[in-house]
Amino acid sequence: MNCNEAGTLVARYADGELDSTQGRSTEQHLRSCVDCAAKHRLVLALRARIHAEVPCFPAPSALRERVRALLANAQDVAPARPRPERNRWRWLTEGAFAGCAATVLAWVMGTAVIDWRANEDVAVEAVTTHVRATLNNHLIEVASSDQHTVKPWLSARLDYSPPVHDLAAEGFTLTGGRLDTLDRHHVATLVYRYRLHTIDVFVRPESAHAPSALRTVRGFDVAHATGSGMDWLAVSDVSADVLTAFVERLASADAAR
Amino acid sequence: MSDPTRFEEQVLPHLDAGYNLARWLTRNVDDAEDVVQDACVRALKYVGTLRDGNARAWFLTVVRHAFYDWCKRNRPKEIIKDDGTAIDMAAADSSMDPERVAQRSSESRLLADMVAELPLAYREVLILRELEELSYKEIARIADVPVGTVMSRLARARALLQRSPQLRAICERPGGER
Repeated sequence: MNCNEAGTLVARYADGELDSTQGRSTEQHLRSCVDCAAKHRLVLALRARIHAEVPCFPAPSALRERVRALLANAQDVAPARPRPERNRWRWLTEGAFAGCAATVLAWVMGTAVIDWRANEDVAVEAVTTHVRATLNNHLIEVASSDQHTVKPWLSARLDYSPPVHDLAAEGFTLTGGRLDTLDRHHVATLVYRYRLHTIDVFVRPESAHAPSALRTVRGFDVAHATGSGMDWLAVSDVSADVLTAFVERLASADAAR
Repeated sequence: MSDPTRFEEQVLPHLDAGYNLARWLTRNVDDAEDVVQDACVRALKYVGTLRDGNARAWFLTVVRHAFYDWCKRNRPKEIIKDDGTAIDMAAADSSMDPERVAQRSSESRLLADMVAELPLAYREVLILRELEELSYKEIARIADVPVGTVMSRLARARALLQRSPQLRAICERPGGER
């Protein structure tokens, strides 16, 4: 590869937009070419400065309230819809109820297929819990960026003691914790802030029901890892690779010390 | 699922992202709130068309549309038809002519101000890429331009920001920081 060919590849490489073959050959070129390496460094340096100096603005609470009022209004109006549309979907609703009932019944029977289903349900349940906590402004029961405050608070309320790490140096700021129920057990939920995004991390003793490494549920990514004798389940709207790296970092944090 | 419920579950969690985009596009607190409120009215109306998938990118698209409609009414001069040269000229004659930039850089301007002063078409791709961390493909869909245009606008935006002296120093450091 020469510099001409490398042209736009350098920026695409810095943006994680290359496939592995292109990525490797670009990497090779960067190692041998001072000019292109400087261009690459410049993109990364600019990104680091943007992250440090250009703020993300969260929605003001007044706006949030106005949107809530808008919703409440719409909810009042919604039942006045023409009936045919509701009838049209009734079979679907009933189907969904039947489906849920079947799942519950099958779960009780505990076959391998059902186990898989249950594993996926944990991911769905985690997303539902995350969304509910966000919407009700109930993300945090113990607010602290100090892991030595959050950990004892959680340990006192659970039959296990979840490892709590602050990864602020890596951009993930611990903002607090809360208790949730997941897969019929009480679990510790650690709440992290990554720039504009909230990340919920459910920590529980290793469990039989764990979802696959990465899943998307209703637009949220659910990343899963095991480590330090615990099961780590992270839910957020950050990009999937950031979330996966983060949950793996948490799971291996003890081992890394 | 009723539309309000669907909105509450799928769109509302992305209100911060929507506001952040509107805030950087309008560069004003009150205007951003108006744009997002309008976007929410629209999102509530069309949320039925949102299929499974990326609710955040969908909502950002709605916010962007709401912004451009607002902009047509309030700041028509800011919207420039995209034929490449027009944008380059706008970049040149707004706040980015090299001498003025150099002068202000020497006064060590804040990077956030430099971002705010980027021409609209560059600013939006930069915010979507660096703050919202969306892929080229997602940005292309939101901004309704080809992926190639996303890449060229991003490159221009970066080139304009990289004129800041601290960044130049990193680039020119002999041997780099390997």
